[in-house]
Amino acid sequence: MALGLVLGSLLPAMALGSTAQAKDKVVFHVGILGEGVDSLNPFLGFQAPSYEMWGLTYDYLVGYSMTDMSPEPDLATKWKTSADGRTWTFTVRSGVKFSDGVPLTAKDVAYTYNRVLHGTVEQSNWLSYLTGVTSVTAPNDTTVVMKLKKPIATLPLLPIPIVPEHIWKNVSEKDIKSYAAEPSGGKPVVGSGPFRLVQGTADGSTFKFEANPDYWGGAPHVDEVIFQFYKNDDAAVQALIKGEIDFVEGITALEVKSLQGQPSITAHNGNSPGFDEIAFNAGSIDVKTGKPIGNPNPAVLDPKFRHALGYALDLPTLIKKVYQGGGLPGTTIVPPNYKAYHWEPPADQKFTFDLAKAGQLLDEAGYKKGSDGLRTLPDGSPIGTLRLAARSDSPTSLHTMDYFKQWLSDLGIKSDVSTYSSSQLTGVIYKGNFDAFQWGWYVEPDPDSMLSYMTCGQRNGSSDSWYCNKAYDKLYNKQHVSTDQTQREAEIKQMQEILYRDSPYLVTAYSSIGEAVRSDRFACLVPQPNPGGVWLEQYGVYNYIHMKPVSEASNCDSATAGGELSGAVKATSSSDSSSSTGPFLIGAGVVVVLLLVAGGITMMRRRTTVGDRE
Amino acid sequence: MSLVADPGLVSESEDVQTRTRGYASYLGLKVLGAIGSLMFMLVVNFFLFRVLPGDPARTLGRGRLTTDAQKAAFNKAYGLNQPLPEQFWTFLKNTAHGDLGISIQYRVPVSHLIWERLWPTVLLVGTSTILATVIGVYLGIRGAWKRGGRFDKISTSLSLTLYSMPEWWLGLMLIAGLGVGFWFVPGIFPTGGLHSPDVNPSSLHGILDTTWHLVLPVTTLTLAYLADYSLIMRSSLLDELGEDYLLTARAKGLRDVQVRNRHAVRNAMLPTTTIIALNIGFVVSGAITVETVFSIPGLGLLSIDALQAPDFWVLQGFFLVASAGVILANLVANLIYGWLDPRVRT
Amino acid sequence: MTTTNESTGTVPVSARRLTRQRRVAAWKRGWAQFRTHRSGMVGLGILVFFVLVALLAPILASSQGLDVTTANGPVLGAPSGHYLLGTDENGRSVLTLLIWGSRISLFVGLLATLISMVIGTLLGLVSGYFGGWIGRITFRLTEWFLVIPFLPLAIVLASVLGRSLFNIVLVIGVTSWPGTALLIRSQTLSIKERAYVERAEAIGAGRWHQIGKHVLPNVMPMVFANTTLTVAIAILSETTLSFLGLGDPTRTSWGSMLDSAFEIGSITTGSWWYIVPPGVCVVLVVLAFTLIGQALEEVLNPRLRARS
Repeated sequence: MALGLVLGSLLPAMALGSTAQAKDKVVFHVGILGEGVDSLNPFLGFQAPSYEMWGLTYDYLVGYSMTDMSPEPDLATKWKTSADGRTWTFTVRSGVKFSDGVPLTAKDVAYTYNRVLHGTVEQSNWLSYLTGVTSVTAPNDTTVVMKLKKPIATLPLLPIPIVPEHIWKNVSEKDIKSYAAEPSGGKPVVGSGPFRLVQGTADGSTFKFEANPDYWGGAPHVDEVIFQFYKNDDAAVQALIKGEIDFVEGITALEVKSLQGQPSITAHNGNSPGFDEIAFNAGSIDVKTGKPIGNPNPAVLDPKFRHALGYALDLPTLIKKVYQGGGLPGTTIVPPNYKAYHWEPPADQKFTFDLAKAGQLLDEAGYKKGSDGLRTLPDGSPIGTLRLAARSDSPTSLHTMDYFKQWLSDLGIKSDVSTYSSSQLTGVIYKGNFDAFQWGWYVEPDPDSMLSYMTCGQRNGSSDSWYCNKAYDKLYNKQHVSTDQTQREAEIKQMQEILYRDSPYLVTAYSSIGEAVRSDRFACLVPQPNPGGVWLEQYGVYNYIHMKPVSEASNCDSATAGGELSGAVKATSSSDSSSSTGPFLIGAGVVVVLLLVAGGITMMRRRTTVGDRE
Repeated sequence: MSLVADPGLVSESEDVQTRTRGYASYLGLKVLGAIGSLMFMLVVNFFLFRVLPGDPARTLGRGRLTTDAQKAAFNKAYGLNQPLPEQFWTFLKNTAHGDLGISIQYRVPVSHLIWERLWPTVLLVGTSTILATVIGVYLGIRGAWKRGGRFDKISTSLSLTLYSMPEWWLGLMLIAGLGVGFWFVPGIFPTGGLHSPDVNPSSLHGILDTTWHLVLPVTTLTLAYLADYSLIMRSSLLDELGEDYLLTARAKGLRDVQVRNRHAVRNAMLPTTTIIALNIGFVVSGAITVETVFSIPGLGLLSIDALQAPDFWVLQGFFLVASAGVILANLVANLIYGWLDPRVRT
Repeated sequence: MTTTNESTGTVPVSARRLTRQRRVAAWKRGWAQFRTHRSGMVGLGILVFFVLVALLAPILASSQGLDVTTANGPVLGAPSGHYLLGTDENGRSVLTLLIWGSRISLFVGLLATLISMVIGTLLGLVSGYFGGWIGRITFRLTEWFLVIPFLPLAIVLASVLGRSLFNIVLVIGVTSWPGTALLIRSQTLSIKERAYVERAEAIGAGRWHQIGKHVLPNVMPMVFANTTLTVAIAILSETTLSFLGLGDPTRTSWGSMLDSAFEIGSITTGSWWYIVPPGVCVVLVVLAFTLIGQALEEVLNPRLRARS
């Protein structure tokens, strides 16, 4: 009993002690909500946090600008293309070493890329960035030469981590399917990146990275980064408030709002290059025979019908109510983060919330209201009930469709919302048994892959809208091999204009991710894109390298491209972290009352016993 | 489930003749029965996942949708293209060898995942069950012995209220009260997780840290279980107290405490053991929900996560482990009961 | 015993009418005894209150209040004059959600229990009454289903069949019938040995006739008590399953309210009105059923009457 008391009094001291920063080591604790790391092997994993782990461990040939994610030098100091665009030559910087001392050369780059080109599982993540590449060679230690069948416009987007040949050549094709690439025997994973993974395993809840003091890009200002995965928002936010973690990634807009009052914390909704949409069945067919499959409502097959509905969406209301303020109203499938490629619809073409106009367009397209107030198809038969599919695991999906149903009914169109799990919905989409569903995409810095999902060739593949337009495909094929950047940007904008008019997707929102940092401990985090973007899980790992503890944060690092990077998180004063749960007294009081009631009940019960019989 | 002590699990007269077998043959019989249950469980487990509507290969593309060739390769790798009886045989063989498949999400063997996640769950559930059994039995005995007394009233009413409360809601209240803190009560306990990030779990500091993290979850589960156990123990003991043999014992001049400990409690333990084992299913459920609320990386949380993907092989392995655990617990309970009470070994 | 007609003296009464009169008298006695159990009465009172709330839901709170698109309350607003229990993250009144949620919570609990009782009673009777291999097979089947752990099965079914209320009802029904079956079986076994059953057999009454006329009516009281306790468990189970997100996202139940409260971090935002009331309601309803069930058991099983 006494021992218990002693232990009991010791525990809080130790618990608190463990969270205080050690004076000699600067440790940055990151809490991540949601999915975890599925594999530390860059050829196997595909969940977002896995990419973050690889980004810290390995380097890439080409990096990303903090302003708009356009290509910037990383391992490659410069690159040039031949006149016909079919040969790319990258100059790899010298003096880079892997964490075990072996130098990194162009040969490791060539090895990695060839593994992707000729491998099996290596292709699933990375082949799309090398389609059309016929050979990758390293004629010397600082040059990589890539030969292509025809020009690829997406280059130099190369988010493939460069792995050490001297380690990975011992992993055969058979073994790579289950090769974990984790620290073992006390040795960290071998990589050339700014940090080294010393502890962590797939699906683990904790990952520990140590800084690489010899990093070619400059030693990081923090000594360690520790990732902690949380399944529960409250636990993560409380950990931030209590100081157990310094950063939390993936909180909701409501939680960001509730953290605004805390002086020691800076919270924001970072724009992330993804969007949510209402997608229609634009013509599901059997790709082998060309015959229609499934049972789409004839109305949704008509681009004019879909386009009219674009005026029936009150996007600002959706952002406010469904996304609780975290996000921006959507327009096209290329998010405005990508300034070079995004097409902003001009005022006379842009959708507004105008039910009258929507009704007028529907009338013009032949979908007039019948005598019962419900609209009919051009041939006079009733439209019937549109089937709206929402994903059961996403409240925003469900509520978006609830609102859509309301607006459709205001237009005189009946609809019905059903929920599916993501895997069920995938099956439904492939069979073509839907009219509309709600989902979202995440768009990479080069929009080529997103644009490809709307081509005829991707139906029954990556296309989920069954959209097919020859003019669109023509433009896609042109920009895909274009060597003229200006021309390509114009072509991409034209493609967005076509999609906007045909409306296979009605883009509802551009997503944002809630983040919060202990700005009384760390500063100098720069958003990407700047301004407005996210602080972590960016393209590249800029902030891990350049952020500083507040003791050193009087001047943040300037950007490599010259000039102070604006928008960096500034240090704030710390304060006693207080918990905002005063009203829980009432809750606790209720529980106490409950217990008293129960006690009262049983006491009353006792009075009915007839004597005490033992 | 009834709070009645003896729901007739053990029938008083399986057949008219009451022969008492030796313990060995009783043991053998019960083990055979357990194996039968396990086989049934395997069949159920296998067919549950083959009934799935939808295409696993397609599902697992998850946005990076696969070509027909890749789908075929996937089906071949997981043996999904074989006829059903052959798949079942492969399933049995693999399970016997401990090969439960590969996690689709994490690309590691399912058995590996389950083994890793087993220990937090065992720690959590084991500690809670032991504490709850000890405290619950004590409360039940004391309450039943002085039936109607103040102790009995308070203990029973608390037990009833806790019994009616979802254990995870109790956990949430504890987090709110003692993890986050309210009014003057400081939130000193961690709100989730099993370890603090920069602590080595196998050091002394780490062990204390883990214990500290487990205080709230173990409290939650212990309170939830002991409500159940104390009510059962109490009613089982009250049944005993009405029995004739106790009158005889008292007539013989035995003191109260002796009567209680030597006879009544021992006999009351029998159905209690059985009921506790029967409720192992509830123990498993409690673990799942409490792990979710407190973010403890155990088996329960693994299954909830696997639901998101859905990671079918992990779910299948988890279901197998959970069912096997329940069957084992029942077997142990039956064996203990049989050892304690020879009348049962018919 | 015969009834007396005041004017004409004793009149022979038919056997059926006699049985009915006896039964009615037994029920009246049982009710009188039940009334003496204060705890059971309190439980009944609470239950009646919630059943009324569930039935009168459309009158107490407009169903419009459940619609996210028309909700214009503040997001996670604290209780105020207009919103007695505050609002949820969509701006809907929590009180409205609570009232309508009672319907799903009670309905699912009752439906699942119905399924469980029907299966359990049937199989319990069969395994108890019939000897030989039918009895043994059903007993084995009962034992096998007994070991299926409830929540893992629910999780597995949700992954395979998708999330819906039907699945919840199915899971609860499938996992809770064995408990009932075993209880019925032991009751049936002990009744089987009673004299009048043997006598009936001697007279040549058919088996199902016996089950229907003799065994079942004597087993029913225990079934009834057991049902009440099973409903308590079923409601707890539904709440847990909805909390884990396995229920229908388009319908509000107390469990799904707690799930939403948990997901949006209501502890951090201090939204106690969202996370405390649904739990309190569940506790009250389950407590009510448990108290009633316990009181019923004591009334109907003379052996247990010694307990209180």
